[in-house]
Amino acid sequence: MANDQNIKNYPKPMSFPAMVFWTGLFGGVFWGVIGYVAYFFNFTEISPQVIIEPWTLGEWKNGWLGKVISIFIIGAISVGAAFVYYLTLRKLKGMWFGLGYGIALFLVVFLILNPIFPGIKPFFELSRDTIITSICLYMLYGIFIGYSINYEFELNKVQVKEASS
Amino acid sequence: MSRSNEQKWPIPESTQEIENYMKQRVGLGISFDLGVRKLKVLKKDVQIYYCNGLCDTRFIIELIEELVQINDHEKQSTNLYQLVYNRLLNQSVQPIQTLDEIVDLVLSGQIVVVIEGEHTALAVDVRSYPGRSPQEPDTEKVVRGARDGFVENIILNTALTRRRIRDERLRFEMIKVGERSKTDVALGYIEDIADPDLLKILRKEVKAIKTDGIPMGDKTIEEFILKQGWNPFPLVRYTERADVAAAHILEGHVIIYCDTSPSVIITPTTFFHHVQHAEEFRESPAMGTFVRWTRFLGVLASILLLPLWLLFVLEPSLLPKEIAFIGPNEQTNIPVVVQLLLADFGLEFLRMAAIHTPTPLSTAMGLIAAVLIGQIAIDVGLFVPEVILYVAVAGIGTFTTPSYELGVANKIARIILTILVAMFHTPGFIIGSTVMFLFVVHMRALNTPYFWPFLPFDPKGFMQIVVRRAIPGSLLRPSIVHPRNRYRQPPKENEK
Repeated sequence: MANDQNIKNYPKPMSFPAMVFWTGLFGGVFWGVIGYVAYFFNFTEISPQVIIEPWTLGEWKNGWLGKVISIFIIGAISVGAAFVYYLTLRKLKGMWFGLGYGIALFLVVFLILNPIFPGIKPFFELSRDTIITSICLYMLYGIFIGYSINYEFELNKVQVKEASS
Repeated sequence: MSRSNEQKWPIPESTQEIENYMKQRVGLGISFDLGVRKLKVLKKDVQIYYCNGLCDTRFIIELIEELVQINDHEKQSTNLYQLVYNRLLNQSVQPIQTLDEIVDLVLSGQIVVVIEGEHTALAVDVRSYPGRSPQEPDTEKVVRGARDGFVENIILNTALTRRRIRDERLRFEMIKVGERSKTDVALGYIEDIADPDLLKILRKEVKAIKTDGIPMGDKTIEEFILKQGWNPFPLVRYTERADVAAAHILEGHVIIYCDTSPSVIITPTTFFHHVQHAEEFRESPAMGTFVRWTRFLGVLASILLLPLWLLFVLEPSLLPKEIAFIGPNEQTNIPVVVQLLLADFGLEFLRMAAIHTPTPLSTAMGLIAAVLIGQIAIDVGLFVPEVILYVAVAGIGTFTTPSYELGVANKIARIILTILVAMFHTPGFIIGSTVMFLFVVHMRALNTPYFWPFLPFDPKGFMQIVVRRAIPGSLLRPSIVHPRNRYRQPPKENEK
């Protein structure tokens, strides 16, 4: 189509770590927003704001600014979670490992890290709806991270194979 | 079915034998639409076989005139075949050698000229199929944009595409499907863009179709290729718009054309192909994005609005303070879920009735339906007003989906979710929508994840969905079609 000298001017496909970064960030923000919507409709007692509650901050942390900032903090933490998946589990094929990853994250947050968040009641005092909503959210989030990273991995594998053949 | 395995017979020298064969095999003389015109040219028999209605009589008359005039100008009959071949005034004259071909071509609408003493017959393409001319498709209208839609004739359809893509690498591969119907199916793609693996799969699957005929056209092809089962979500996108088909071919999709169908199949397809519309690309990017977001809202409302409202009716404690006024303000005797389902099915009655009603009556019917049924149902105490409101909004949301198939699938999803909420309240809603989402995500159509680029997430592809990008800025073809050539346009000189 174009001459070869120009080819380096073409936009490159996104590199794998960059893709993991954006997946983590978007996944955290998107499912954080969904979590907030679920909180708004009282499906769950846990608002995304629990993430900044351990710190004594100004009054703003309960306002809309607090909501936005906590959702972005979740996004940042989610980037870490995505890289953990990328480094350990990316070769596991299929979306169901992501689901397992989500459940594992849920258990970590709600059973082990629970005391850090004053906003989350001890696990066995949570209402049934809260647990169901949270576990569903974590499952969807886990699949989002896991399936995306694994799909990209499989795609790269195929492309490498095609290039070498 | 055994016919296809039969030996191919060469054309005999005697025209009498050919006529007998045609009588036996095709029912010449029994079927009224088959005919033969016998001529004497230079004292030899020349016969023209035709099928009424599929060919243009005026052209045939001109050809016969030419043939008869041979008698006036020529004397030597030794070279009759060459004479006839020269005098058949048509650009598409094809010599054929077997009786099988005579039958196939005559039944497809060509005329076949057989000459006494020759083993070669001549097929002339004078086909003219009954059909309409291209007009705007009913299902995909636009405010601005091309008004020519596909018709029931595959030749016109491929021509409409060729008009938009003059590329020498554009290919239309013809495959005959149906042992008895012998319908033409064509794969349209651009050689150096389309994914060869996808082509291989499609070619194999289409060739593997063993059935007597496909009167339902492309839908039948889809069922054979995709093995959908009971899954209500559409696995391929249909379009009747020639510009949409051409745009997808340029993106690297493979389009399946099927004769007698005014729509073509776009493969591979994801969920988000079903929620885009040509109109977005005919307006400014900002407007297109706005239209697209409004449509997403409509699609979301068509699935979630009814179950969500029902949930709030059943569990008013879920409502946040800000919108606590929502809910039925009147008490009724019928459970709300029954009202919702009744109203939803009522809407479905209307939809079906609107399809079957002749156009002059449908306006009147719409009035009856909208004004009378809704209002009176409230007056007699059957429905609370909110039911009408929410069912109407969800119903309109269904129709904002550009893909008719997806709209109907969403309706099924909505009804299932409504019933789950009625049975299990909040857990029904949460688990139901999660499972439904997972079901859609795990679907794969032709090895393509159905919810790409949202899940699996592809940042660049997702941006293309979120905003309607300006065409000059979209350098890359979507990676989901695995294009062989990723670049739509060369980059600007100053860009890095």
